[in-house]
Amino acid sequence: MKRRRRTEILIQENGQLAKKLSATIIDAYECKEISEPQYGLTMIKMRESAKKSLFYIGEVLITEAKVEINNCIGIGIVVGMEEELAKQLAIIDAAYKAELPETITWRGQLIEAEKQNTKERAKKQAELFKTKVSFETMEV
Amino acid sequence: MGYVPVKGGTEAIDASIKRLKYERLKGNETIEIQTIMSTMRGMIDQVMSESSLYSPFLAAIAIKQAEGSMEEAVFLMRAHRSTLPRPYYSKTVEPETMLVERRISASFKDIPGGQLLGATYDYTHRLLDFDLINESSESIQRWLQNYQTELQKVDAFDEVKYFPKVVDYLREEGLFENYEGNNTAPKDITKQSLQFPSTRSERLQVMTRGQTGAVTSLGYASLRGYGQVHPTVGEVRVGAVPIYVGHPNEMEHDIEDDFYIGDIKVTEVESFVPTQVKNANNEYELQFEIGYGICYGQNETKAIAMSILDQCLEHPEADFPTHDEEFVLLHIDSVESTGFISHLKLPHYVTFQSKLDSVRQVKKEVQEVEN
Repeated sequence: MKRRRRTEILIQENGQLAKKLSATIIDAYECKEISEPQYGLTMIKMRESAKKSLFYIGEVLITEAKVEINNCIGIGIVVGMEEELAKQLAIIDAAYKAELPETITWRGQLIEAEKQNTKERAKKQAELFKTKVSFETMEV
Repeated sequence: MGYVPVKGGTEAIDASIKRLKYERLKGNETIEIQTIMSTMRGMIDQVMSESSLYSPFLAAIAIKQAEGSMEEAVFLMRAHRSTLPRPYYSKTVEPETMLVERRISASFKDIPGGQLLGATYDYTHRLLDFDLINESSESIQRWLQNYQTELQKVDAFDEVKYFPKVVDYLREEGLFENYEGNNTAPKDITKQSLQFPSTRSERLQVMTRGQTGAVTSLGYASLRGYGQVHPTVGEVRVGAVPIYVGHPNEMEHDIEDDFYIGDIKVTEVESFVPTQVKNANNEYELQFEIGYGICYGQNETKAIAMSILDQCLEHPEADFPTHDEEFVLLHIDSVESTGFISHLKLPHYVTFQSKLDSVRQVKKEVQEVEN
C-alpha cells in the first residue's frame, strides 16, 4: 500500500493500529533511531478559490521522527505533539521501504481500518446533517 | 540623538515579574490546559489564526500564561514559532478537499448540497445563561448522554460527502470569470519583508494572520463608505482540510507517495462583489468579482472582513484608505501594532527631556519678547 493512503488510515485511526504494527517490527528487527521525535513546523500552501492562485495560510506544529531498518530510513510526520505516533509511523514507513514481509500481511488490517474510519466520518457527517436547513417558501 | 543606557531597575523588574505571577495565582485556582482546549474554542482559534501557528495545545498554554490576554498570547506563540525549525512545506491544499461541518450562503437559498448550519451562535439569544454558574460534571455527562442517544438514531451516510463550491456553478453559467489554476510559487512574508506593490500571495498571507479586530474594523470601514466594496456572501464554510507533504529525499514525485500528516480546521469565505467593467464595445457592464477570505479555526467575521479587504486591495485605484495596501497591510498585524503601541510606555527619558527643553526655550523667548 502506498504511503499517502497508508498514512491517512493510520493517522485518522485512533493510533492503536500504528502502535500494533510498529510493535511487530520492533520485536523482530533492529530499529535504529536516526532522529528522535522532535517538534517542527510545516508551512501550509493553499489555493484560494477567487483567482485560483497560491498563498501561504500559515504554519502548523508537527512532530517528526526518523528510524532506520535494514539501511532504509523511514519518516513519521504528524500534526501536533505526538511523539509516540511519529515514531510508530517512522517505523512503519521504514518497514515498507525495506520491503519487510510483514508489510504484506498488514494490507488487510489497513483496509479494514480504512473502512472503519470512513464509516465513522460518514456517521459524524450524517449527524451534522441534522442542522441542514429545509427551506419552505411562505405565502404572503 | 543617541540612546542613553541606564541601570537600576533589575530588582524592581524581578519583583514585578514575581508580582505578575502572584496576580495569576492569588485566587488560588488554576485552569487545566485540557479545560482551555475543551471550553475556549473561539479564543484558541483566534490565537492560532493571529499567530499564524496552528496548534490548539500551544495556543491553550499561551492563553493560560497570558491570563487570557489575546495580544500577549499571540506574542508568545509568535516567539515560540521562531524557535522551531520548519522542515516541510505542504503540498497545495485544494479548498474542495474540505470536510465541511458548516456551510451557508447569503446569496442563494438553494445551494447544491444544501445549507448546513453546523455549530453557530448566529441564532442564539444573547442573554447571559446563569445556569452556567452551577454547571457540574454530572449535568454535562447527562446532557452528553442524551445528545449521544439522540444521535445514535441517525443513519450513517454510505460515504463521506464533499461539497462543490457555490461559485463553481456560477462560473459554469458564465456569470463569473473562470480562472485557470495559477501555480506561481507564493511569496512568504516570514522569509522576505513585505515590499510594495505587494503580490496577491503576500496580501492574503498578511490578512489571514491579521488581528481579528483590525481586519474586522477595516472591512467594516469599507462597507460604511471608506471603501468601495459592499459584497454579498456567496459561501461561508467551516471544516477540516487535509495536509500532505512530499518526501524530502525521494527523487520520484508520485502523489501517492506523499505523507498525510493530519487535518487543520479553517473558515473560508467567498464574497460576491458587483463591479463595472468595459466590454468589447467600450461600454460598461455589470460583472461579479470574488473577494476571498480564510483563517485558521472558526472565525467567520474575520474571514468575511478579509474577503472585503481582499477585493478592496485588488482595486487599488479607488481613492479610499481601505484600498491602500500600505494602509491596510502594515496596520493589521497583532504583534506589530500592539508592539509598537506598547513601546510608547518604555522609557523615553532623553527624547522627552529634549522636547521639554525645546518648549522651555520657546516659552522663555516669548516671555523675553513680551517683557
